[in-house]
Amino acid sequence: MLKYDRFTLKNGLTVLFHKDTTTPLSVVNTLYDVGARDESEDKTGFAHLFEHLMFGGSINIADFDTPLQLAGGENNAFTSNDVTNYYDVLPANNIETALWLESDRMLSLAFTEKSLEVQRSVVIEEFKQRYLNQPYGDVWLELRPLAYKEHSYKWATIGKELSHIEDATMDNVKSFFKKHYSPSNAVLCIAGNFELEEVKSLVQKWYSDIPSGTKYNRNLTKEPEQKEFREKTIERDVPTNAFYYAFKMPNRLHHDFFTVDTLSDALGRDKSSSLYLSLKKGQNLVSDIGAYITGSIDEGLLVISGKLNDGVSFDDFDQALWKELDDFKSRAISADDLEKIMNKIRTAKEFEDMGILNRAMNLCSYELLGDVSLINKESEIYHNITADNIQRVAKSILQKSSCSLLKVKAK
Amino acid sequence: MLNRIVQPELKAIDKIEFIAPKEYKINPHVSLYHMSDVPNETTRFDLYFDAGKCRGGNSMASFVNGLLLSGTKHKTSIEINNEINGKGGFYESGISQENSVISVYSLRENVLDIFNTIKDAIKNVAFIEKEVLEFLSDRKQGFNISLQKVNYLAQRAFQEDLFNSNDNYAKATELSDFENVNIHDLKDFHSEFYLKGLTKIVVLGDLDEETIQHFIFGGNEFAINTKPKYIDEIQNNAGIRHVEKSNSVQSAIRVGKVLFNKNHPDYLDFLVLNTILGDYFGSRLMSNIREDKGYTYGIGTMVAELNNVGYFMVATEVGTDLKEATLKEIKFEFERLKTDFVKPEELELVQNYMLGQLLKSADGPYAMTDLFISVELHDLDLEFYNRAIASLNSINVERIQELAVKYLNWDDMSIVTAG
Repeated sequence: MLKYDRFTLKNGLTVLFHKDTTTPLSVVNTLYDVGARDESEDKTGFAHLFEHLMFGGSINIADFDTPLQLAGGENNAFTSNDVTNYYDVLPANNIETALWLESDRMLSLAFTEKSLEVQRSVVIEEFKQRYLNQPYGDVWLELRPLAYKEHSYKWATIGKELSHIEDATMDNVKSFFKKHYSPSNAVLCIAGNFELEEVKSLVQKWYSDIPSGTKYNRNLTKEPEQKEFREKTIERDVPTNAFYYAFKMPNRLHHDFFTVDTLSDALGRDKSSSLYLSLKKGQNLVSDIGAYITGSIDEGLLVISGKLNDGVSFDDFDQALWKELDDFKSRAISADDLEKIMNKIRTAKEFEDMGILNRAMNLCSYELLGDVSLINKESEIYHNITADNIQRVAKSILQKSSCSLLKVKAK
Repeated sequence: MLNRIVQPELKAIDKIEFIAPKEYKINPHVSLYHMSDVPNETTRFDLYFDAGKCRGGNSMASFVNGLLLSGTKHKTSIEINNEINGKGGFYESGISQENSVISVYSLRENVLDIFNTIKDAIKNVAFIEKEVLEFLSDRKQGFNISLQKVNYLAQRAFQEDLFNSNDNYAKATELSDFENVNIHDLKDFHSEFYLKGLTKIVVLGDLDEETIQHFIFGGNEFAINTKPKYIDEIQNNAGIRHVEKSNSVQSAIRVGKVLFNKNHPDYLDFLVLNTILGDYFGSRLMSNIREDKGYTYGIGTMVAELNNVGYFMVATEVGTDLKEATLKEIKFEFERLKTDFVKPEELELVQNYMLGQLLKSADGPYAMTDLFISVELHDLDLEFYNRAIASLNSINVERIQELAVKYLNWDDMSIVTAG
């Protein structure tokens, strides 16, 4: 059971406090309710570029990193298609420095031309390093627009193309800040060895004078139901043919979400999973194969991906895979196999909960989903998953008509 | 009115508590270290073998490490993996220049079953031909993919130049390694460096004495009988070379030289210089090359350690057209540290930052154990970190300049670019 307290400030900021008496460190985690899905199609990559700009100085403080490092701390951030998350980890007795810094950049940024100019170049280099200059690095740039036709998940967080980053203007940046960065669109979590009253008074001190801003009402175009198999082949300068089968799956709050997660484990988590056993160890068609879910807030994807062995054609593999998936759908997994999958989930969960930063980030995520108390129901939900449930979701999800296949062909 | 201009008052880190795991001697050369102070159900055990890259050429060490669970006379690889995965265990294995390490994460209730499975798998691995061929084919595919990465190409060439004076350390994987390996060689390597090659066991978890004795008893079968020897001296090949990779949009860069490890009197102070130069977000290299010029997504420096030696390295990836400009800036930052004193504010910042990072490195039983192992490797104890704090608090700008002059000479560096 993860313990926490929750309170809100008058300006709408939601605050979670997680007490941990065993560590000398503290965490200040700030989750903003904005991700790449909230961008407009002609200005993609903006949420992520903006994350970089959040380190370029705020209204009263020239530089974010220096004071935090002076306090013995470190920080980082990430942007996903759904959210933008900033965290600071520092000695608990210096937590006030993190609150000072985070509250000031929630209040307003400095918006210097220099920062925008430099971070545009940095993000372009990041684009090259992670997406263009890696074998298979651009797969998600291709797979997303194949699987999503309407929903803004059709572009990656880095953006559709470099030009969107290159063309970003200071006016774009300012309006993005105004729209998304305010107490009413953020969740703050403080974790460490503190008393609740102490946390309340510190948060009150640093955050209460920030104008609440306008609650952003998300109104994204819904992805229509996929009714046809989609397929795309790209040729790249890679040594090996690779495949990505992406199946539509329910959103994060759907009652089947965790069942689909378990299904992906059963199919392809490790060397005991069914696809590995049949297609790798049995038929030796692939060098590796795995299955996982994107875990996104809106309707996501269950992906089966891997690389073909030399001499195996995409068609041969395709037939074998669909046969295996049909077999899988036709029988419920055994109680013994289910227990094994659950053992692995339990181990992973126990390790995940160990880190104070993970706990703080998870609390914020659940709050953003609408109900922080769900964090303590996860284990029970997994526990109640049955083999029949898994078979049922397998039948409904693993269908050719809701599948998008990307093939990367070696030139 | 709230003062948002001035940073809240800072408090110093007054004390960091370092806790050593309990040591059990398996034999005069091999110990088990147990960290019992784990407040939950998690466990980890690590098995260290004297089966690193330096023990065999032509990728032999890497192949044997990857084949440890490939099956015995009595059990297939599928059965072995099923026993580990079915008990919720996560198995990892890998090699470094001088070690082969197997790590397993699991819950308490399953740790002994998994240990028994792994012990039996390693002891009796049969190097079944079908498994070996499949493994080599997978690895070869992975290797061909790695050859497409400028980062890998640069690192590979850098290792060659760095360990230039010793072939076993320097030689990188070649395509021919996959063709030339035979089962007999795999078996020989396994029997020499695994069956009598265990150098250390680390166990974390709230486990009772009986369980630990089981690890000791099991480990004893593999324990090494002599103290393994590793190179005491290496000489890097200074100078610049380029590895061509067509159609790259970025080039990877490595700059570095042979240095030393925790046993050297300059080690602790050099770490401060290393941090200032490139080991934190606000470092000289990050400020100049990323935050001022936007040439890269990231640049960093590190001090890496082996049993008796060590090395220093700068690593980055930059736009292909920015390669020369970046090397010029790296050199500029070396020179600046040699000619100008670091400002007291910058030194204070780095001192505080490093102390905060040390606090973090000692936070929780897992981090604490890793911290311990990194001194145990050099026959030191946790007192080392108290000395580190003292030296961090007393270092001055003159000393940093002295070390820069002594160790950051551009002409001594092995420089590799790939792209």
